[in-house]
Amino acid sequence: MAARLQRYPTAPPGVALAARAAAIVLALLTASALLALSGLNPIALGQQVIKSTFGSRFGLEDVGLLVTPLIFTGLSVAVALSIGAWNIGAEGQFYAGAFATAGVGLYLHAPAPLMLPLMFAAGALGGAVWILVPTLARAYVSVSELITTLLLNFVALLLVYWVATGPWLDPGGHALGTTARIKYEVPSFWGDVHWGFPIAIGLTIVVALALRYTVWGYEVRISGANPNAAIYAGMPSRARLIVVMLMSGAIAGLSGFFEVAGTVHRLQGGISNNFGYLGIMVAVLARGSSLGVLAGAALMAVILNSGIILQTKGLNVSTVLAITGLILFYTAIGDELAHYRLIWPKRAEA
Amino acid sequence: MSFAAAAEAVEGHQPGEPPLVLLKGVSKSFPGVRANQDVDLDVRAGEIHALLGENGAGKSTLMNILTGIYQPDAGEIIIEGYARSFASPLEAIAAGIGMVHQHFKLVKAFTVAENIHLGWSETPARLSAAVLEARTSKLAETLGLAVRPAARVDELSTGEQQRVEILRVLARKARVLILDEPTAVLTPAEAQELFKALREFVARGNAVVFISHKLDEVLEISDRVTVLRGGKKVTTRETQGCTEASLAELMVGREIVLNDLRGRAAGAQGVSATPVLRLERVTVVDALGRKALDDVSLDVRGGEILGIAGVAGNGQKPLSQALTGLLRPKAGRVWIGERDFSAAEPADFAAEGIGHIPEDRLASGLAPTLSITDNAVLREYFRPPVALSGLFRPGAAKALARVIAAAASVIVPDFAMPARNLSGGNQQRLVARREMRIASKVLIAAYPSRGLDVGAINTMMNYFVELRDAGVGVVLISEELEELMNLSDRIAVMFQGEIMGVVDTASARLEDIGLMMGGQRRGAGGP
Repeated sequence: MAARLQRYPTAPPGVALAARAAAIVLALLTASALLALSGLNPIALGQQVIKSTFGSRFGLEDVGLLVTPLIFTGLSVAVALSIGAWNIGAEGQFYAGAFATAGVGLYLHAPAPLMLPLMFAAGALGGAVWILVPTLARAYVSVSELITTLLLNFVALLLVYWVATGPWLDPGGHALGTTARIKYEVPSFWGDVHWGFPIAIGLTIVVALALRYTVWGYEVRISGANPNAAIYAGMPSRARLIVVMLMSGAIAGLSGFFEVAGTVHRLQGGISNNFGYLGIMVAVLARGSSLGVLAGAALMAVILNSGIILQTKGLNVSTVLAITGLILFYTAIGDELAHYRLIWPKRAEA
Repeated sequence: MSFAAAAEAVEGHQPGEPPLVLLKGVSKSFPGVRANQDVDLDVRAGEIHALLGENGAGKSTLMNILTGIYQPDAGEIIIEGYARSFASPLEAIAAGIGMVHQHFKLVKAFTVAENIHLGWSETPARLSAAVLEARTSKLAETLGLAVRPAARVDELSTGEQQRVEILRVLARKARVLILDEPTAVLTPAEAQELFKALREFVARGNAVVFISHKLDEVLEISDRVTVLRGGKKVTTRETQGCTEASLAELMVGREIVLNDLRGRAAGAQGVSATPVLRLERVTVVDALGRKALDDVSLDVRGGEILGIAGVAGNGQKPLSQALTGLLRPKAGRVWIGERDFSAAEPADFAAEGIGHIPEDRLASGLAPTLSITDNAVLREYFRPPVALSGLFRPGAAKALARVIAAAASVIVPDFAMPARNLSGGNQQRLVARREMRIASKVLIAAYPSRGLDVGAINTMMNYFVELRDAGVGVVLISEELEELMNLSDRIAVMFQGEIMGVVDTASARLEDIGLMMGGQRRGAGGP
């Protein structure tokens, strides 16, 4: 009558949530242990982080600035996942969007009221163009988008480094390795927090509603859950795949637009802060739900902000990345374990 | 010398010499299936022993027990006079028993020489491509199997891959070579080459067990034949003296219970005068360029059940796909009524009233991770009441899902639950009811009873009768002859992508159907 573990195909939501919470706690405990080993006081550091993040308006503003690009990139990855595509290239599409935004903002001379909408469109278009080739390769010849989107990240990164240090370098020469300041700005509504934040939330809700309450969204969900069933039911699943992947690229591109036009106001190398890669984590934490992206992005923003605070206390930036890695690692384990239940088998009948 | 021993000596079997393989009373059950019941088998040195039976007769299970993949629930394995038990295929091959499976187990990115030496204790510790290739050439020469040692496996034809598999087994000094439907993947010329190699192999005092359901080749290649049916051994006979007809009868059996559902209730629609769905000389080519359907013509009339018989894998899947627009014919035409649908999309077929219960419901009929509601509305999601001007209405979808679940007598506690949480029978009933709603002209049902229990099968069959009596044509693809005989008005038999013939069930003889399943062409009303 020994108990044994039995794997079930689905995890009960309560258990899944508990596993998530346990994963985060375990990651923080592991990180604390490592900090303690290196001679720091994790409890004091923790208090410091909580106080600086939630205890002051500046802390909250910082989180608000960090969460905006994370919602966009997280949504970008989550949207692609809804049709079964892994967009590892949100980073590159972020750069492409930022590049297009800066190009329009610096060199296009249209009436001032039109400039922001034009830059917005350019950002979205830049991201979409960046994912175009991987999209067509996947849709028509089944080339894995995982590899193609990933590789294009490096191309976009180098492109931005090159223009920011070369052709588009600030002629005023105030700063090294960045373009001139772009004078068209996304207005702020609460301290430094600009309108990108509510727009990100709004867009996430719109996408969630579209997936749930439109015929198009139903076709996307079926195509993502089982492409063969979509073909069987006669759905135009290739067209859906193309549109969804381009949307994913455009949303990541918007992340770049808001970062350039809302936060940094210049184009510079390294502008993405890894937001594209962190978006993958946000989407994974969201478990395929668009609205879950908001929670995942919020958590990630708090961790990033904690990292910035910890850096002022002399901690390495890699430590912070390690903590985010630990959370993802424990979450993956927790998600799997949530499928198991203890079984006490009944005595076998003779 | 006793009479029995004398008889054996005549067959070339030396008295006193134990058979290479002797299976006694082997039984094996899986949940819900008795795959083998009390099966005896003896394989003698110098013979090619055919193992004949329909799909699911227990041939592969028996050989998997002999090669250590499964452990028998009961029974003995005696190899050259010694009782043995094999915990794994490695132990079996060490005892001289090797098997070549239907689906090759080669590493495609490796060369022939590397595959031969993979997982072999005699592989030299210091290996280089040259050494392995030289060893392979030598082995190939001694064993009389021509292979190209340096070629990568994925460059090889299936015939060559099979030779590599056989060489792999023989190199490990197998005395008994088991081949699972070896000719299924070969051209006739390749098959002849294989037969030649097998005869040479047994001439050296070894033995071959040849699993097949093709009557002609069993007659051609084997010395003795053992027939299995429903997990039990029917008989072992000398092949000489058997005919295709006698083997077909043994294989299919006479134990078919006739529970005739062919009679029409009063008020039922009759069979339509003209076909509602028609294939005209349709040829379909698979990804490898082989003809999956070869010049197939088939009429489906309203108000009839057309059975498709045949051993699985003989073109039934491409047939169902061609009939539902999922595969476009390379040559020939598909007609719905008087209209040409040869170039139409699957959605057009569905809109025209062709329903489809696919053979792999989890792989293509359902999205298992999505809710029961989402799955139930798969055929009607785009039209009212589920959709209104582009909007998907979850409430209306759930209402439709309730209607379908009620018709299917499936009790659903929670319509938001993923479809994979339903039992196989419930999934199948939901899919069937969903398809019946749109099947105003024809329903294509591929293996609808596969994996279901008797009760669910019965429900399924009554659905088809209900449709037929409403004037809908039903194409019932099945490997259960009993099911086909009970339900169908006509039966078409498929073999290697062709239709061997179409017979009226009322006057059909099982032997004829068995012969056609084995590749003989006949029957009135055929193509």
